[in-house]
Amino acid sequence: MVINGFVTQKARHWQGFLTRSLGIGLFILLLVLPQLSFSQTAADEANFVQCRACHTIGGGKLVGPDLKGINEKQDEAWIIKFVQNSATLIASGDAEAIKVFEENNKIPMPPHNLTDDQVRGIIKYIANGGKLADGEAAMATETTEDRVSGGAIHDPDEEVVAEMKRADMRNMRNTFLIMLVLMLISIFDLSVSKFIKARWIHIVIILISIAVGSELLFVESAGLGRQQYYQPDQPIAFSHKIHAGQNQIDCQYCHFTADKSMHAGIPPLATCMNCHSQVKEGKKTGKKEIAKIYAAFKNNKPIEWVKVHNLPDHVYFNHAQHVKVGKVACAECHGEVEKMDEIIQVKELSMGWCIDCHRTKKVQFESNRFYDQYTKMHEKLKNGEKKTVTVLDMGGEDCQRCHY
Amino acid sequence: MEKKYWQSIENHLEAKKGENKRNNEPMPEFSIEGLDESEIKGKSSRRDFLKMLGFSVSAVALVSSCQMPVRKAIPLLNQPEELIPGVPNFFASTFFDGNDYCSILVKTRENRPIKIEGNNMSPISKGGTSARVQASVLNLYDDARLKKPHKEAVDSDWETIDKDIMDNLEAFSLTNKKVVLLTSTIISPTTKKLIEDITGRYSNIEWVMYDAVSYQAIRKAHELNFGEAAIPSFSFDKAKVVVGFNADYLGTWLDPVAFSKQFSRNRKLFKGNTDMSRLYQYESQLSLTGSNADYRFGIKPSDEGVILLNLYNEIAKATAFTTYNAPATAFDVKKAANDLLENKGKSLVVSGTNNLNIQLIVNAINNALGNYGQTLDIDRPMNLKQGDEKAMADVVKQMNAGEIGGVLIHNVNPAYDYIDAKAFADGMKKVRLRVSFADVKDETAGLCNYIAPDHNYLESWNDAEPIKGQLSIQQPTINPIFDTRQFQDSLMKWTGVSGNFRDYLENSWKSILPSEGNYSINWNKAKQDGVYSYAVEDKEHKFSEQGLSAKVAGSGIELALYEKISIGSGKYTNNPWLLEMPDPITTATWDNYVCVPLKYAEENDLKFEDVVKINGGIELPLIVQPGQADGTISIALGFGRTAAGKAGNGVGQNVFGLANKNGFVSLGGKEVTIEKTGKTYPLAVTQIHHTMEGRAIARETTLDEYKKNKYAGNEEHLRDEKNNTTLYKKIDFDGIQWGMTIDLTSCTGCANCVIACQAENNVAVIGKEQVKNRRIMHWMRIDRYYSAEEANPDVYHMPVMCQHCDNAPCENVCPVAATNHSNEGLNQMLYNRCIGTRYCINNCPYKVRRFNWFEFTNNNQFDYNMNSDLGKMVLNPDVTVRQRGVAEKCSLCVQRLQEKKLTAKMENRELRDGEVQTACSQSCPTDAITFGNLLDKNSEVSQNVTEGRMYHLLEHLHTLPSTSYLTKVKNREA
Repeated sequence: MVINGFVTQKARHWQGFLTRSLGIGLFILLLVLPQLSFSQTAADEANFVQCRACHTIGGGKLVGPDLKGINEKQDEAWIIKFVQNSATLIASGDAEAIKVFEENNKIPMPPHNLTDDQVRGIIKYIANGGKLADGEAAMATETTEDRVSGGAIHDPDEEVVAEMKRADMRNMRNTFLIMLVLMLISIFDLSVSKFIKARWIHIVIILISIAVGSELLFVESAGLGRQQYYQPDQPIAFSHKIHAGQNQIDCQYCHFTADKSMHAGIPPLATCMNCHSQVKEGKKTGKKEIAKIYAAFKNNKPIEWVKVHNLPDHVYFNHAQHVKVGKVACAECHGEVEKMDEIIQVKELSMGWCIDCHRTKKVQFESNRFYDQYTKMHEKLKNGEKKTVTVLDMGGEDCQRCHY
Repeated sequence: MEKKYWQSIENHLEAKKGENKRNNEPMPEFSIEGLDESEIKGKSSRRDFLKMLGFSVSAVALVSSCQMPVRKAIPLLNQPEELIPGVPNFFASTFFDGNDYCSILVKTRENRPIKIEGNNMSPISKGGTSARVQASVLNLYDDARLKKPHKEAVDSDWETIDKDIMDNLEAFSLTNKKVVLLTSTIISPTTKKLIEDITGRYSNIEWVMYDAVSYQAIRKAHELNFGEAAIPSFSFDKAKVVVGFNADYLGTWLDPVAFSKQFSRNRKLFKGNTDMSRLYQYESQLSLTGSNADYRFGIKPSDEGVILLNLYNEIAKATAFTTYNAPATAFDVKKAANDLLENKGKSLVVSGTNNLNIQLIVNAINNALGNYGQTLDIDRPMNLKQGDEKAMADVVKQMNAGEIGGVLIHNVNPAYDYIDAKAFADGMKKVRLRVSFADVKDETAGLCNYIAPDHNYLESWNDAEPIKGQLSIQQPTINPIFDTRQFQDSLMKWTGVSGNFRDYLENSWKSILPSEGNYSINWNKAKQDGVYSYAVEDKEHKFSEQGLSAKVAGSGIELALYEKISIGSGKYTNNPWLLEMPDPITTATWDNYVCVPLKYAEENDLKFEDVVKINGGIELPLIVQPGQADGTISIALGFGRTAAGKAGNGVGQNVFGLANKNGFVSLGGKEVTIEKTGKTYPLAVTQIHHTMEGRAIARETTLDEYKKNKYAGNEEHLRDEKNNTTLYKKIDFDGIQWGMTIDLTSCTGCANCVIACQAENNVAVIGKEQVKNRRIMHWMRIDRYYSAEEANPDVYHMPVMCQHCDNAPCENVCPVAATNHSNEGLNQMLYNRCIGTRYCINNCPYKVRRFNWFEFTNNNQFDYNMNSDLGKMVLNPDVTVRQRGVAEKCSLCVQRLQEKKLTAKMENRELRDGEVQTACSQSCPTDAITFGNLLDKNSEVSQNVTEGRMYHLLEHLHTLPSTSYLTKVKNREA
């Protein structure tokens, strides 16, 4: 299994001299990239994602009832009807439906746009104890296992990464200090002690020190204002690992403007209350953290989250362009959020990082009708002059795509 | 001989004398704000240097060792469905400030209005706006706004003042003591209904409407002629010939936005059309309309009647109407009369003079020409300008006589703009209850013991009926920022009308909207569209003839007052955008001044910036104004405010007292004396700031020439096209190449685009001192050129912004590539990469690049709108606010291009023509600016560039601009 690329301990965020390194960024990038390739699961499990917001399989009652054994308790046709539109079924006077409705504090189950076969698939999935049938489970097992072991905060692999990162930082600092000391010694020797007679040795040492120092200075100063590994404390100990990981709530259930606006959007409290009007106790933190939501709601005072992913003011970034048009997965920039308890910025979010992606990423040239007007490019594709169309070909390196 | 074009009369005259102006021109004096004397003169000592050095080193160390600031992301508790952070919402609403009307769309971002656009659905303004409408959004964020109700000049609360005022009103009602409700013109049928409701219930309350600039003579003349005291609605689009007399209908007269739209419809020479209207203008000061006229005559205000009567006689002779004795006039009226007679029923004669005799002659002419029912419509009259001069005079008289117990003053400022402001102020002292609804503590509110501040119009509910049958709705676009209350709600509260005005409005619309269908659907549709029309029946009108007469002019110097395009009659004197907007004619900013004709200036040895004394009182600097009629001088209204706010206080002088009271109060005609004072006063005039050194920039021809040859006046273009060659590789565009065309025949120079651009692109206001230092930041300027005779020149208006050259001279010289070319033909400017060498500015032949000499944000040296939290709310969050030391320029509103491209991508379709609009092109009241994709062969802009009139600015330089101009065609005989 590929190790997690994230460090859950606080990576202290220094902006100062020689505390971060480009090398670490690349290293993390290398660790994360292979993971991006296997985010698909089988259709049934994917469909069950929306159920997970309110139901468990053998995990007890959440918003709605535990679904373990539902396939034995209820008739399949009834389940299909109830899932597709519970309100209609209740309104039709179905005794069983009314019973379920009343047992669950009269919280209506919202209608779901699922076909009969899809619901049947989900029932099969539940019957199988929340696992895919053998053979279908090639990829998904790992995620499921991971979810089961998700309670542990410290993953040994994460420790390794953190240690490597710290080591790298130490190395960089040590290199700089060694060079500085060498340079000072040689200057001292050159002007005062005169221990070494051949003066070219001094000069070579000084020049090399200056060169290494300048390189480090350049790398570091280019990183000024960047916040890779920034992981601030949040006002509520909200865990993405539980919500997006264990409960498999879709990113855009909460960040619902990501495909509409430049901002992905922090969910309004009302969105939290959709579930937390029922879920009053957390697995790890008990009632304490969830109570903060109620307090905020009661006092009419929004929660002041600390923004993790910041871009400079002169950068215009649009989520809709990337999520909806470019079909870029959230994880490509935000990492595997579903494995983070507290959000950490895993990517550099530097201009070089943006541009690197723009140079290689393919645009939806054939499928999006917008690109029909690029007749010359279509011509080139047809006669084989070009194989693919990247963001760069559409002007992705032009300054005023992001700066205006 | 080649025709000469010039911008500054002073430079032009010297050049004519043969002096080498270029070498003689004195360098303007520069001052550096923010530095004291010793620093300018370089007297700082070595100690200072070391101190600065130590400070900066420690500051850098401190900053670099600090952590990044913690940024918060605060979501809403409940996110309303329609509110998506980052996505703008547009609300249809109405702009009406007592004078000007416009149907608008308000762009809000995160629930705060940041930009006004025209409403394309409006049959009146048809998507156009004016500079004032564009700038009105800044008034919402004016620091001078009252934050609470006031009682006796101190902050109070609504409960207290409600009780006091209601007690007083009740007492007056019991003793039947008169209370006057003094308002501006009210065109809202619902507000009118409410007020009539109240005056019906309380017989002691009298409602008086007052206009700072009165138009009552037009109403009175129609009352005499047709039995209806109405201002007819005008159709300039149906008029082939328009003869105007002192009426600046493209700039300030009645409804300039609608008139500009109509005017330009008739002057579109595209796709082989050679049909265009002809404008005659007889006027005293060179107005915007006069500068666009095909034939213009400079007349004294008192000459107007004689000329009109002669014109009438010419027409009456041919149409068998009664002729009257008229003194002879030196001005040619035959030509205009012939044109009018050839276009009976398709012509229009208008006069802006508020004089009954003159308006009667105008009506008689229009009647003789059969224009009523064609270009003039009494059945659908205009509801603008309903002020009653006599009623207002009576109020002032009664106040002074102590007969009035209370005045409630809404949206007018007579203590500043009444002709006898002193009498009004004196009278106010004798009134017990003085209530103002002003949203800033203006001159009149300063005289009141209670101020019940009204909402800004962007916070209010209302409706409007500017023309009978054409309604529009005003809806709030932001929660009230301060503890203010809408005027109507205050009235309802005090007079015991139950409910709130919003419900009152909805109820009142039940009688307006059709009864069939679901009311709430109809009501919501009306709110969504912003406009609603109902059919008005035509009626028979009988013209009853009145005797006409005119007197010969006196010999003295006559004063012609006028409303400025920017600040109007004084309502916007505290709006820094409008104060800094160069006047379309004089190009002056931040001041008022006396316009003096060239002949008078030469005779009396007066020159630019000399201060003169008018009538022994008011002292103002002068501008020698080409086109100013001999025997007249002109001064703009609206200045000299003492309680407008930080930007407008003490700018210029108040000249309302110099209006001509002769029957009705008219702006022109008062005889005045001028004295030289020997003083000078600096004026910030931008006309020569970005001069193109006398090259053939504005190209023109006459309609006759154009009919013969579609390249008329534009022969150079053909020559340049043939001779141009280049070493550079031609850029190969694919998909999108943005382009713009500007039709000089349509453009009137109204400067709406200048302010629209300023609002859209966060352009800084820099103040008079820096404008004088030639540092104005506007991305878009309107060059004004004169040619032909100095005394009555031809005028050309030419909007100039970054031309987005494909061979851009600026791009080659930037040492850090902070300006470069995009694959869509944009010349991109990168603020964060710019190091401020200003090479690009020096190398730009069009002089369109601007440099941030100072930090204009959060800097109290520039105390306008960008140094306060409130003022900064108007900034467009999609556009970077520039910092000190970087160059900037027009970006072709790249944020809009990107937004619309994204919309198209999200909707999985190609871009539509006309979908992408820049700020300047979107709200242009004459549709002179067209923007689009040059590679789309069906787009309007790519059709426009195939016209014979098309040329590029300075095209012999072969910069290959993306912006093209279309030759100006004047409708004259060759």
